[in-house]
Amino acid sequence: MSVVQKNTSEASKWYLPGILVGLGITAKHLVSNLFNKKQMLTINYPEQKYEYSPRFKGNHVLTVKKDGSLRCTACMLCATNCPAECITIVASEHDDPSVEKYPIKYEIDMLRCVFCGFCEEACPVDAVRMGPEWQTPGLAGSNFHYGIDQLAYRPQLKGGMLSVLDDEERHKSGI
Amino acid sequence: MPKCTINGKEIEVKEGTTIIEAMFKNEQKIAHYCWHPGLSVAGVCRLCMVEIEGNPRLQIACNTVVTEGMKINNASDKVKDAAKWGLDFHLINHPLDCPVCDQAGECGLQDQYMEFGKYDPEMAEKKVKKHKVVDLGPTVVLDSERCILCSRCVRFTDEVSKTSELGIFNRGDRSEIGTVDGKSLDNKYSLNTVDICPVGALTSKDFRFRQRVWYLKDQETICNGCSTGCSIKTYFNREGFYRVKPAYNEQVNSYWMCDEGRDLYKFVNRENRYLKARRKTEAGWEEMIPGAGAKEASALVKGQGDSLALVLTGQYTVEEFETAVASFVQETKSKQVYHWQNHAGKENDFDGFLIRGDKNPNTAGLKKVLSKHGIATSWHEFQSAISSGKLKTVIVAGPENQMHYQEIDTLVKTLAKTKVIWMQSAKNASLEALSVGSWILPMKSYVEKDGTFINYAGLERKFKKVTTVVSEALTLAEGVQLVVGQNLMVKPETNAFIETARRQDQVMLEHRKKNEFVFKRGSL
Ligand code: SF4
Ligand code: SF4
Ligand code: SF4
Ligand code: SF4
Ligand code: FES
Repeated sequence: MSVVQKNTSEASKWYLPGILVGLGITAKHLVSNLFNKKQMLTINYPEQKYEYSPRFKGNHVLTVKKDGSLRCTACMLCATNCPAECITIVASEHDDPSVEKYPIKYEIDMLRCVFCGFCEEACPVDAVRMGPEWQTPGLAGSNFHYGIDQLAYRPQLKGGMLSVLDDEERHKSGI
Repeated sequence: MPKCTINGKEIEVKEGTTIIEAMFKNEQKIAHYCWHPGLSVAGVCRLCMVEIEGNPRLQIACNTVVTEGMKINNASDKVKDAAKWGLDFHLINHPLDCPVCDQAGECGLQDQYMEFGKYDPEMAEKKVKKHKVVDLGPTVVLDSERCILCSRCVRFTDEVSKTSELGIFNRGDRSEIGTVDGKSLDNKYSLNTVDICPVGALTSKDFRFRQRVWYLKDQETICNGCSTGCSIKTYFNREGFYRVKPAYNEQVNSYWMCDEGRDLYKFVNRENRYLKARRKTEAGWEEMIPGAGAKEASALVKGQGDSLALVLTGQYTVEEFETAVASFVQETKSKQVYHWQNHAGKENDFDGFLIRGDKNPNTAGLKKVLSKHGIATSWHEFQSAISSGKLKTVIVAGPENQMHYQEIDTLVKTLAKTKVIWMQSAKNASLEALSVGSWILPMKSYVEKDGTFINYAGLERKFKKVTTVVSEALTLAEGVQLVVGQNLMVKPETNAFIETARRQDQVMLEHRKKNEFVFKRGSL
């Protein structure tokens, strides 16, 4: 181990000049914040919320079709791609042969998720997205395994989020 | 014996061998869909193109016989181009259902596309729509859009199962696989069509959507469904077993297996197993750790002498029978070991292909062990000994595969006054009726142990443990040893890390050596 000896000059032994410089910086910010509130970095959380950029990766949303059913086809590509292995899907046979397969269980363990967005990238049908919400408070013992109810139909989503892709148009054009 | 050169390698083949067979024998890779080693040649997919020197055009390898001095090449750009455009034609009307298609991950189209394709589709036409989710029969679902019309399934029903249910209907791009009106694909071997279908057109109702194939590991073992003993591959992950497929075995089952054998993974899964030793008391069942249970159960056996019997079914391995019978005879000095067989009188039934009436995989092995110990008892003797009240305690090694053991019920009833130590892996409701004081000891199933089965023809085959489902369960050898009062010999493991059923490293050694990072996604 080597110890680096600081070169202590005579001037730095006088602590008062250092304090005065620091106070000067604080005073400068105080004055500029008083006259220009927009550039102030501190906000009054939680009354005031910070606006993240639209690319922000927050809590997942499962998008829905026009009729309100899930878009997800239970292909499990998101679960395969997820590095935290926190997505659990159970697939089942759908009555409608054009849908064929759909998830009867879709669960994300929010506490294991690292919010990397790989699931969103893997999804071939734009069924899972990272939403803008980032506050996920909960008491001890609350359930952080979000199921379909939470992911697709939580109250904030107001009945579900539609995807920009339109399947009907896609099918009509023969794709 | 003609000699030929394939991709620069000189080989000698048997008269009449086709190029594709010669290539497979020499472990050369070639793309193909319609050719299957167990079926006749159709030559319809046109993917197996090879270049033959002196021949201006490419030829198909599956229907060209090797002749003396032939120079064959399937690695040239010309061949790759032919495969690529052949593939393009196959994919013109293909729906690309991969996300909902069960075949994804083991699909011929996906594999060959990654190998030869990687083009952008140039078709501007609309795709032809066909029938989806067609219920072909009790076991198979058809999606005609995904079918590439290789006709393997049709040839299978014509040539192997000889039931001829399937056919190709209509012409051109409207051709579809189907059954004649009112008929369904319903035979004892129907699920083989799902295995040989190179794409996801035929899917198994049982396996459909239950798991993606890349989450499954596979391991070969032997089917314990009947005395034929087909070689099989079991597919499993840590949640249990999901499906069974045949593995090639020239002497036994070729490329096929029966549909019933494919259900045999079910009783192996944890939810259908006894996990704890259970003793019946007046108040109900009492549970215990299996090993401790077996030790306690030995109180029923101690000093019983002639009033004790051991009943064996032909569903355990030769090694287990050997140890169990040897320690039973040694400790109790009794030779009352009986062979319990279901379906008396039907054991020689045979359907002409694979299915046999003797529903035990190792009847021959058990008989061999019994005769080695000089035991020649009959089931009638056992029954009269029971009805005369001579037997006070009976140790039963129950059947693992109970699909054809309706006799369990009758046996339990006849043993109503006897104390029973019943060793069994899978749950059975009839065992609830055992007499007070009886035991049920959980056994390991056939996928959880190494061993040997001897099939109807006397063919002795070893198999390896696939995985562990119930770790505390005992093997028959351990169970009988503990019950007759012996202690278990803990053998020093010669190689504790056997090469079987091991999870693959995420970064394989060869990649590591080259300092490449190729990750295997989709771990278990
Ligand atoms: S954001 Fe990343 S860690 Fe979270 S569920 Fe998606 S893939 Fe998994
Ligand atoms: S990748 Fe998309 S469609 Fe597939 S299971 Fe995940 S959310 Fe569903
Ligand atoms: S058959 Fe193959 S290519 Fe076609 S949808 Fe299924 S997995 Fe995809
Ligand atoms: S259903 Fe499968 S096996 Fe039968 S012709 Fe079509 S692709 Fe071939
Ligand atoms: S495999 Fe040769 S034409 Fe299909």
